[in-house]
Amino acid sequence: MAEAHVATNPELPNLVTILEKTFEGTSFAHFLKAWENIIFSLIIIFMITVVAYFVSKKNSMVPGRFQCAWEMFVGGVDDFVCGIMGPAGRQFVPFIGTLFIYILFMNLSGLIPLFKSPTSNWSITLALALCVFVYVQFTGFRRLGFLGYIDHLAEKPRGILAFSVIIPILMFFLHVISELVRPLSLSLRLRSNIWGDDTLLAVLAGFGLGGVPLLLFNTFLVIIAGIVQTLVFCLLTTIYFTLIVTGEEH
Amino acid sequence: MELLKLLSANELVAQIVSFLILLFILKRFAWKPVLKVLDERKNKIESEFKEIDEIKGEAERMKSEYETKLSAIERIAKEKIEEGVKEGRRMADVIKQGAVKDAERMIADAKDVIKDETQKAHDILKEDIVDLTISAAEKVIGEKVTDKHDRKAIEEFLDMLEKKKNGW
Repeated sequence: MAEAHVATNPELPNLVTILEKTFEGTSFAHFLKAWENIIFSLIIIFMITVVAYFVSKKNSMVPGRFQCAWEMFVGGVDDFVCGIMGPAGRQFVPFIGTLFIYILFMNLSGLIPLFKSPTSNWSITLALALCVFVYVQFTGFRRLGFLGYIDHLAEKPRGILAFSVIIPILMFFLHVISELVRPLSLSLRLRSNIWGDDTLLAVLAGFGLGGVPLLLFNTFLVIIAGIVQTLVFCLLTTIYFTLIVTGEEH
Repeated sequence: MELLKLLSANELVAQIVSFLILLFILKRFAWKPVLKVLDERKNKIESEFKEIDEIKGEAERMKSEYETKLSAIERIAKEKIEEGVKEGRRMADVIKQGAVKDAERMIADAKDVIKDETQKAHDILKEDIVDLTISAAEKVIGEKVTDKHDRKAIEEFLDMLEKKKNGW
């Protein structure tokens, strides 16, 4: 079914699909087909790691050009997260920052010839959303304790609400469902937007308007959508963390 | 169910592992050191600004202190100058009075000397006149006038003349 899905959707050729066609019928081609998105994400991981390693290799008090750019990014994420969560957000900055840079590179990699956006695949985005889900729940569990966590899921019933039993139970299940839906909504939103962009890129690749390829106009759309979707993913992640952290404070 | 067919368990697990590896690497080598440097720089700038404010406050305090001291010194200096001027004037008065007294004394002394000298000259002149008169009388009468007796007579005569001259 997945094969049929790929066949029915237009897709620009990339490095893996070209190799796949070259070695068609071999086990290597099957391997490439099965791990296409992971191969691209690993390439992106490798690139980010190399850049981050060399940029932050010499952290001096008087920064150079690259260190300055990297510090601007790190400081920007720190301000973004701590601006929403307050000082408590500092511990989530590496996680949210890594998500941001990783998703951004994966979203925009579709613009590079012979590359593909791994985020146009649901498995990839769901994996990231599951990481967020697990980390959020783990943070809630660790901060609130078992009973506190259950209390949080039951929307902290107090007074007459606590004695009504049925309402806290309903609230508990409602909250559980809303928590479980979060990774689905997070991952599907990102995947669908990027998949739509990539499909549009592939469709418009063969068209032009007065000699100007339509791909040129669509490129801006892809860039904007890629950045916006990254921001949305990270913003929602930050909000999830905020809800679980401030739940403890209230 | 259709949606689930888009998923691949292998890719899902591999992606989770890849992301966790990236998270570990970036946290270890990029996020923590950079955030540490940012915090250190922020603290350094804050402490330096604080230090600058303290130094500024100290400078302001010293300035006001110096201004107070300077005005006190100016006041003291003015007082000293006024005292000096007063002292100078007083000394000038003393010197002036001394000089006047000295001058008066010197004038008085000079007058006394002149008086003495006049008296002396008068006496000498008188002696000379007596001698001249005696010698003239001797030549007129042709004999020697006894010195003691005649001298006395002449002197009495001269005194009489003098008294007459003075309106007696």
